[in-house]
Amino acid sequence: MKFVIQRNQLMESVQDVMKAISSKTTIPILSGMKLEATTDGVKLTGSDSDISIESFIPTEENGIVFVENIEPGSIILQAKYFPEIVRKLPEQTVEIESDEQFNVTIRSGSAEFNLNGQDPQEYPQLPKLHTENSFELPIDLLKDLIRQTVFAVSTSETRPILTGVNMVLRDEKLHFVATDSHRLASRTIPMSDITSEVTFKNIVIPGKSLNELNKILEDSQDKIEISVTENQILFRTKHLYFLSRLLDGNYPETSRLIPEQSKTNVVIDAKELLHSIDRASLLAKESRNNVVKLMTKDGHTIEISSNSPEVGKVLDEVKVDSIEGEELKISFSAKYMMDALKAINTEKVKILFTGAMRPFIIKPGSEEEEILQLILPVRTY
Amino acid sequence: MKTWSELNTLQPIVTKMLTNGIEKERIAHAYLFQGSRGTGKKEASILVAKSFFCPNQTEVEPCHVCRECKRIDSGNHPDLHWVKPDGASIKKEQIAHLQKEFTYTGLESNQKVYIIEHADRMTTNASNQLLKFLEEPSKNTVAILLTENNQSILNTIRSRCQIMSFKPLNPIALQQKLVENGVTEATARLTSYLTNNVSEAIELSHDGWFAKSREIVIKLIEVLHEQKDEAFLFLHNQWLNHFQDREQTQLGLDLLLIWYKDFIYYHIERQEAIIFMNEIDRFEKYTYTLSQKFATKAIKNILEAKSKLMANVNPTLVIEDLVLHLQR
Repeated sequence: MKFVIQRNQLMESVQDVMKAISSKTTIPILSGMKLEATTDGVKLTGSDSDISIESFIPTEENGIVFVENIEPGSIILQAKYFPEIVRKLPEQTVEIESDEQFNVTIRSGSAEFNLNGQDPQEYPQLPKLHTENSFELPIDLLKDLIRQTVFAVSTSETRPILTGVNMVLRDEKLHFVATDSHRLASRTIPMSDITSEVTFKNIVIPGKSLNELNKILEDSQDKIEISVTENQILFRTKHLYFLSRLLDGNYPETSRLIPEQSKTNVVIDAKELLHSIDRASLLAKESRNNVVKLMTKDGHTIEISSNSPEVGKVLDEVKVDSIEGEELKISFSAKYMMDALKAINTEKVKILFTGAMRPFIIKPGSEEEEILQLILPVRTY
Repeated sequence: MKTWSELNTLQPIVTKMLTNGIEKERIAHAYLFQGSRGTGKKEASILVAKSFFCPNQTEVEPCHVCRECKRIDSGNHPDLHWVKPDGASIKKEQIAHLQKEFTYTGLESNQKVYIIEHADRMTTNASNQLLKFLEEPSKNTVAILLTENNQSILNTIRSRCQIMSFKPLNPIALQQKLVENGVTEATARLTSYLTNNVSEAIELSHDGWFAKSREIVIKLIEVLHEQKDEAFLFLHNQWLNHFQDREQTQLGLDLLLIWYKDFIYYHIERQEAIIFMNEIDRFEKYTYTLSQKFATKAIKNILEAKSKLMANVNPTLVIEDLVLHLQR
């Protein structure tokens, strides 16, 4: 294998790929980075077996040549040293060459490094892309989807399937659902332009992978292509491929959990409610479960209160736009409520209660059905 | 020992059972390979993994040259998981990590194999955690537990595995093989007692450290019985300098154990079973001062010391305690 490459491009790719490589690996080969040269360009791969990132550098783009003198081949390099070497090379162009014994020579200007590589055959084979089984989304919409659901995944390993976000494509709609069995976050977007050939059912993407993906993607209107294979999901932007393994098992049926009718409906300014709950939780944080109490009062205000006997108590009133239905006293976790309000991110929110012991729903104020946050109340006396 | 046919010469029963299972596609979800050191447990587990993953096997024999086989040999196969004791035991976290791994789909295929070496060294917590995991196997998963000491595996775990007993190799055949390889008969007897693996035995017999160990153990016995007051001095001057870590101390204790066993054999006139053949003169000399009863007690003390060592007691203290008992 041999090629000459622009250092800046290589550096950028190396940094992207390094995000997937962890220093603690169970399989020794994953501490390395794979370099693969083809006539189209150079591909770098890094993986910690849960997620894998591939970055592609084309031979040329918009008339600017990035890679030259390519002799196809591949090699595994130690990820511990390679990025530092690339960063500190003296010239703008870098020549990388490897022989049959997996010895790698990196030349740039006056500097020459000889590294011991490893056999590329040892590296895990990432699944081939099935481009026909894929769909596209704008990157910022995908980031929204992730941000609005992933916080609700379970952090405990007792039910591993709940540590992921459930993705379903049904009735021309894409559903994202996450729950830790105390709360649930779901977001639905219409997918009318999708071809009916795309078929996958009920997959569960690990929350950790989605958080990682969210960090790597930059906000933009560009499209990202998503394809699902048998055991992995692939997110693909122009030059960056992000692969994650899926969680194995059946996600619980969540649609039945969401109450269809409500007894008390409140419309309220999201920011004011958030601040009020934040204040009330100041004292509640001390006691174990961070619980605040909400009480409807006369048609115009609700009272948010919290009482921790050993510290003190808070009382706060918030003006509401409207209250319909029965009077209500309910207690719930302040943290879950704040997470939900932050995720919705609209000016007004609508809260639908079905009694003090039943879960309640928070929706955006305007009649969009797409975001839904469900919280289970806490029993207090 | 790399192929099924090679394994067949050493462990015909196990090989037959495993290859039949693979051939008829009736692989159990969990196996427990038990057998003493060097009987080929690890080799067999690698072969099972290869037969499971290798795409071009002839009958049951994997090809050993394809990508999958090569990666299994080098430990880089992404869907094969090895669990080895971290320090003295297999910790709960290691099993938890394994379990987490299995909630994900496979990286390449949807088949997974995990091999737990020294499964008897799992902590109680780890065993219980594994138990839950063994009870509900996901499809296409094979667990292989390897142990030299099947008695310390939880009953509840043992009952969930298909047990494969690896027969100890015939010691006489092993001795002959060693002698053929140019090892002296005395050394051959000793090393064939300590391991079942020919190459390991040959390595031991050429090891200078091992030769010195034997010398020190004999010397200790001499000091214990002839100059009792010097025993502690000897211990600190020689024994502790030579047997430094836990594993080395275990080997020292093994040698000591063999000596007392030999002594009993001498007493009951089973000379052919004696391992320290060059020591017969000494046994003769001690017959009048050292009773059979005392030797039995000594063996008990040594075994106790061995188990204390396993339970993380300071090696120096263990040896000092043992010497105090033997001195009496």
